[in-house]
Amino acid sequence: MARWGMVIDLDKCTGCQSCSVACKAENNVPSGSPEEHVRRLTPFWQKVIAVSSGEYPSVSIDLIPMPCMHCDDAPCVTVCPAQATYKREDGIVIQNFRRCIGCKYCIVACPYGARSFNYKEPEDEPYNRPDLPPERADRGVWPFPHRVHGVVEKCTFCFHRIDAAIEEGKVVGEEVLPACAEACPARAIAFGDLGDPASHVSQLLASRQATRLREEMGTSPKVYYLLK
Amino acid sequence: MAGTFITLQGRSRGYRNALIVLGALALTGLICFIISYVAGHQTFGSSNTVPWGMPIVLAIYLIGLSAGSLILSSLTYVFGREEYRPIARMAVFLAIVLIFGAMISILIDLGRPEKFWRLFMFFYMNNMTSMFAINGILYGGYFVISLVYLGIIFAGKAGAAKITGIVAAGWAVLVHMGTGAIFGFIAAREAWFSALRPLEFLAAALTSGVALLIVAVVATFTLSKREVKGEMIASLGRLLTMFIFILLVLVIFDKLTHLYAPGRDAALYMLTGPGAWVFWVFQIGLGVVVPLVILLHPGLRKTVRGIVAAAASVVVGVFFERYYLVITGAAYPQAYAPGKIEGVWGAAGSFALTPVELILSIGILALLGLIYLLGLKYLQLAPAQESGNTETKP
Repeated sequence: MARWGMVIDLDKCTGCQSCSVACKAENNVPSGSPEEHVRRLTPFWQKVIAVSSGEYPSVSIDLIPMPCMHCDDAPCVTVCPAQATYKREDGIVIQNFRRCIGCKYCIVACPYGARSFNYKEPEDEPYNRPDLPPERADRGVWPFPHRVHGVVEKCTFCFHRIDAAIEEGKVVGEEVLPACAEACPARAIAFGDLGDPASHVSQLLASRQATRLREEMGTSPKVYYLLK
Repeated sequence: MAGTFITLQGRSRGYRNALIVLGALALTGLICFIISYVAGHQTFGSSNTVPWGMPIVLAIYLIGLSAGSLILSSLTYVFGREEYRPIARMAVFLAIVLIFGAMISILIDLGRPEKFWRLFMFFYMNNMTSMFAINGILYGGYFVISLVYLGIIFAGKAGAAKITGIVAAGWAVLVHMGTGAIFGFIAAREAWFSALRPLEFLAAALTSGVALLIVAVVATFTLSKREVKGEMIASLGRLLTMFIFILLVLVIFDKLTHLYAPGRDAALYMLTGPGAWVFWVFQIGLGVVVPLVILLHPGLRKTVRGIVAAAASVVVGVFFERYYLVITGAAYPQAYAPGKIEGVWGAAGSFALTPVELILSIGILALLGLIYLLGLKYLQLAPAQESGNTETKP
């Protein structure tokens, strides 16, 4: 079984936010007004944070795209009382909107702020595009036909693309990528099987010094960052 | 009078007016709940940085009051302290009413309240590593045990009451330590992460439980024209003093532990940040300083009026202790990466109390008051009066 992971080259990232926009478009993530964004009411599956260090004039800025880290030991899976969040066999942490009761405990427990609550009835209701398979029988009904307010959502590593690619026999990581990786103009985001030493991501990880965010939390994220 | 309990008649104008006012407030709360259910939680002040708002503040506060109240009743039924017998039934009933209110508050905070039953599908559809699921067992069991306990007390079986009293009081301890664990076990929130949290919650529960019991007993007795026994209230006051000291010691050690370690940013934020005034004014001022001054004052500590003032101050102070923990604690920004995170993603969370949330919270409290008043009328909770004057005017 593959172990999907992402490797993001911070040297290549320009902070253009293409990944955030592509994610919103691919997954129909609801948009919100600027005021709502400042109040942190808008759902984001993928965000880009700017981290500055040092004092002017010697300042350095790191632009860090942050999808869900799909932790091996995910705190959100531990705290979810309703089994709405669970880890698939290939390591992707999935949120089942049908089971979610909206207690927000996972938002509290996530060290990466990767989870968002639907604070209002979304305008873009369908979770997915019509060209994608409407139902998957093995994991219950998915995609959820309509969004509702009151449930938590998060990045899925575009698992619908991965699953479809595997069925069609395409190579995930080269022919098929998650929407954010596909949209990145600088090709800063690489996606692939971390368990396969021959994969592109494994080779990237071996080539440069890599780090993960908040490793002291012990969550073992599957999103790696190549340092500048 | 020892051991005889009667119902209040509840025919006076004041009683009826109180019922009408509380009923109207509860109804407004219900309307606000429907608004929040239809329009979503944008009607609340919470956000993705401060995910839990007033309903959760209220929930853990009510659980604390309930657990404290129930543990106190065990003084009579388990340890045989006869001086507290006149108020023991009220304490148990209060505990049931308050845990009911806590469960309603949690229900209201759920984004999809119609799916609340999933919290009670233990071991079948629940993830039992979640503190919420474990607390589902604790709260549900506590509610049932308390009801059984009250039933046995009404049946007048002293031996059975003693056994259920032990079980119920022990369960109440678990309930509140479990509630503390919801917060204390979350490593991602530095301001919450502490092994002391369950004990602190337990101490806060006992403190606020005694305080509310003092206020409720004196209010009920005075309004129904019963004699308030100064001696009993004074002894409850001494109990309150002890609990305040225990709570204070736990709070100080929790803060010191987090200040001593080099990673003290979160602790400094909690003590000096924008939300720190809640801590200093309410938690320390109203929750510790004011009541301790009154309770240690040689003159005031013996007067019922003084003790009630101290107790009321504690009831308010502990409420804001919860507010401070849930809201200010969650507002501390998470350090996703070393350095200063610019813009919205690194800003401390904000929380603006919305009218809907406020009216909803008042509605819950009003509903609980309503149930308590109806309980006084239809259940034999209040001790009988020696003079036979049972005309009530609550």
